[in-house]
Amino acid sequence: MTNTQHASFVIERRYGAAPQRVFAAWSDAAAKRTWFVEGEGWEIQSHTLDFREGGGETSRFRFLKGEETFGEETVFGNDTIFNEIVPNERIVFTYSMHRNGVRFSVSLASVEFKAAGGGTRMIFTGHAAFFEGGDGPLMREGGWRALFDKLGAYLAA
Amino acid sequence: MPQRSTTHATFVIERTLAATPERVFAAYANPANKARWFGGPEEWDKSDYQLDFRPGGRESISGGPPGGTVHRYDALYWDIVVNERIVVGYEMHLDATRISVSLGTTELLPQGSGTRLIYTEQGVFLDGYDDAGSRERGTRELLDNLATFLTRVVPS
Repeated sequence: MTNTQHASFVIERRYGAAPQRVFAAWSDAAAKRTWFVEGEGWEIQSHTLDFREGGGETSRFRFLKGEETFGEETVFGNDTIFNEIVPNERIVFTYSMHRNGVRFSVSLASVEFKAAGGGTRMIFTGHAAFFEGGDGPLMREGGWRALFDKLGAYLAA
Repeated sequence: MPQRSTTHATFVIERTLAATPERVFAAYANPANKARWFGGPEEWDKSDYQLDFRPGGRESISGGPPGGTVHRYDALYWDIVVNERIVVGYEMHLDATRISVSLGTTELLPQGSGTRLIYTEQGVFLDGYDDAGSRERGTRELLDNLATFLTRVVPS
């Protein structure tokens, strides 16, 4: 029997970089990979980014502690479709996540970039339907917060 | 340059339907069925209805009052569990302007000899074009049409 849980959350960040630079960290494939895909404890199997309305992004990454945590080799995947792109201002996208081929959530997100004091105020709003065996809202929000820490480190480097 | 804004909203609609989950699911999955209850008001001009009901498949319809604004619905199916769950992401356009992007989850639960349907929509409305109040009203009307459709078709 299926089981579905819905949740929404908002994360707001301020970065010292201008909106153009923050936006470019989402639109440029090499930049996006550094903060969105690469990470300690993960082996990246693939990442593609086709950043245009109707285009998509896919990533596949092996969790190095898969056996320890899930009792089996574990590959996570993220498939994204970009619904709307307003350069330097707004991105709206829909994405699904899966573990070993089993989809465990579908999400909708908007990211807004607003000039603020020489830098950028970035507002991320996430909505999701979490399925049986999924991560759930707390882990998801925590995951995005960790990614935005990495985005901040990337922009400051 | 237009002033950019977003309004995020979520609403939930529950219905009890006098049809099994299998029959309700078929009203969504079969294009000929769905075209009978899904779409704008009867007096609107409408384009051909398209439905490719599978994960990764698309659905579209457009229409509007004669000579008036064209409303276009474009959906992508993200998750389908037969007789249990359907998840779509969809965009609405008024003429050439995208006014919203939404995630819609339909859950079907057996209840007695019928079905409890739970529809949850999470959406972002763009640049002040729409609000969740009118979207929720429109969705309630569609689900009224679905209930009527289910009472009309011969039980399978």
